[in-house]
Amino acid sequence: MTRPKEPDIVSRSLARNRLGVPSVVFFGIAGAAPLTVILGAVTTIYAVIGSTAVPVSYFIAAGILMVFTVGFVAMSRHIVNSGAFYSYISHGLGRVAGVGAAFVALPAYAMMQIGLFGLFGVVGSGLLAAAGIHVGWFVCALVAWCVVAVLGLLWVDLSGKVLAVLLVAEIVVVLIYDIVMVANPAGGTVSFDTLSPARMLSPQAAAMLVLAIAGFVGFEATVVLSEEAKDPRRTVSRATHWAVLIPGVLCGGSAWAMSVSTGPAHIVDAAQTEKTNLVFALVAPHIPAILVQVGYVLFLTSVFAALLAFHAAVARYQFALGREGILPGPWGHTHPRTGAPLLGSITQSVLALGVLIAYAITGADPLVYLFAWLTVLGGLGVLILMWSASAAVLAFFLRHRSKENAWRGQIAPGIAFLLLSGVLAATLIGLPDMLQVAPNSPLRWLIPPAYGVIALLGLGWGLITRVARPDVYAAIGRGTEGHLVAPVSPAPRGLSVEPVGARSPFSSAVH
Amino acid sequence: MAALLADQFYLIAHEDQTGRSRLHPRATGLGLAAGLLGELMLLDRVRVYGGELGVVNREPPGDALAHNVLDLLIVQRHHRELRTWLAFLAQDAAIRVGERLLRAGVVEPVTRRRLRGTQTLYMPMNSDQRNAAAWAPVRLANILVEGRAMDIADRVLAGLVLATGLTRHVLWDFSMQRHGLTTLYSVVDSLPSDLRELVEHTEASVGSVLAAGRR
Repeated sequence: MTRPKEPDIVSRSLARNRLGVPSVVFFGIAGAAPLTVILGAVTTIYAVIGSTAVPVSYFIAAGILMVFTVGFVAMSRHIVNSGAFYSYISHGLGRVAGVGAAFVALPAYAMMQIGLFGLFGVVGSGLLAAAGIHVGWFVCALVAWCVVAVLGLLWVDLSGKVLAVLLVAEIVVVLIYDIVMVANPAGGTVSFDTLSPARMLSPQAAAMLVLAIAGFVGFEATVVLSEEAKDPRRTVSRATHWAVLIPGVLCGGSAWAMSVSTGPAHIVDAAQTEKTNLVFALVAPHIPAILVQVGYVLFLTSVFAALLAFHAAVARYQFALGREGILPGPWGHTHPRTGAPLLGSITQSVLALGVLIAYAITGADPLVYLFAWLTVLGGLGVLILMWSASAAVLAFFLRHRSKENAWRGQIAPGIAFLLLSGVLAATLIGLPDMLQVAPNSPLRWLIPPAYGVIALLGLGWGLITRVARPDVYAAIGRGTEGHLVAPVSPAPRGLSVEPVGARSPFSSAVH
Repeated sequence: MAALLADQFYLIAHEDQTGRSRLHPRATGLGLAAGLLGELMLLDRVRVYGGELGVVNREPPGDALAHNVLDLLIVQRHHRELRTWLAFLAQDAAIRVGERLLRAGVVEPVTRRRLRGTQTLYMPMNSDQRNAAAWAPVRLANILVEGRAMDIADRVLAGLVLATGLTRHVLWDFSMQRHGLTTLYSVVDSLPSDLRELVEHTEASVGSVLAAGRR
């Protein structure tokens, strides 16, 4: 068709209301808010793992995810419901595998969110203690829980502008702190020791990649907005790459800056004494007090934004699964007027409250056992999903060679699959040591198989669905697009894996 | 075609007392957009196949709004995807259908002050108008529960009710109206394939709009 001479009213009008690259990037890194990862995760990794390979692991993780993103975004253009890993897996590896992936995804994202409550509690109580008010982490976590639960039910995502302002402020503060730390190195010399890739050669260091990757979780959410983006092809692709690159550079750079400021030999000790306070303690002597206070407040808002983003992600996941019939129907219902996925939101809130109470009763350390453990375990689940998704991308483009060029369709997904396989294998071996599980604890051999069992349950449920409810089975992978109205689109030959959305030309058009 | 499809959907999707949308505004917009396209499909002006939309007869329909939409479809015919048209028409469908209802004397304009600027709602004001508006969902429910023969416009309307999530509003009494729910599903299942595709794409658009959670 020749280019139209008439003004393109439709595109122009739709574009006015749609999102550009920055908005999509902000949406993507809301879950992995840089300040949360740098002040919360990086310091905790230094302290708990006791390794100095942290900066390199973030750069390498960012590199792996960039390669993964190439095929991931390419595939998102060809399938419906591109918002969740499990739908890639059902499109690429089959619907039964997709249900298995969905079962893994539910606890994985749920644990990441609940773990963040631990971080919020500790940081909040620390902040209040500095102001002279002494309350435990549990009270602070409970307050955050209440607010998240209510906002989740109202389906109030922090509006794009609020989020953007917070994120930009966070990034500015991080950059200032980094400059201050690098400008005041231990012993007067800036050491690049912790940036040496050779540090990644030990198996334990390779397993640290799962911790780094957990710091990026959320970047995959950008594709949820593909129908809301100005240019579905380019906007989302660019934004997703930015959503990996920005946290990668910031986290890796900051981790390095911390080691410069303490000296590579002392970073682990310093992290163990100061915990999440490490960066503030390092920069406080060199900057005005107000900048430290601003940092504390932004840290808290950043964790809160991450809590809210993950809560929405979990609710959205359950909503998608309810709408396509994998979870019981009520999970697919939304509040009529606000569109909030009610049951998904309530389920996550109840679960989080239960876990928080359990931690409060047992008195376990919230930073190590709630934040670090749950986010690492959740991160492992997300890593399993990413690994399966990379296999799914590869399988999908092997079947549809003509849809993308060789780099996007075969080479990048192939490399991503190999790299993620390596990371996953190293993680499964190194995980118990990373979590510092006692040598005789049953947890040592319980954790990885737990995901296996969940995946098997999912596969079983997928098979049952295939036999018992073929109409629901046929619609698996449609996610939020629902299955109430069975699809009628006559799937062209060769595209039978795609439940819907196979775009065929309108052949009988008469103009 | 007695009553216009989008008009009926408008009356079901808005509260007769306050004029507010019963659904997320974007879901209502998509339902109305589907109603407008459905009207043109029922008039044999437009056909849908494989997710794409094509004009098959350019003869202007009698209704001004339908005429207007058809003109747009013709001028902008390089846009074929049904989902694109649903998204485009959804943006101002509530105002355009509201204005049509105003011309028909079914609603009246009410201007409300908002945080920023004003908003014009189209809602039934006198008792006759209220009765007519409240009757829209009841009429559909009665047909469904009693299992009476439905004309094609009502069957599409039932499909849009299902697709946008108004089922519980129309069939609110689950124990009394359980039979209506069964009828609803079978009515939608038996729609001609292009109209069913319209309903299916409406459901899909509503789902992805709600998941994104933007106004």
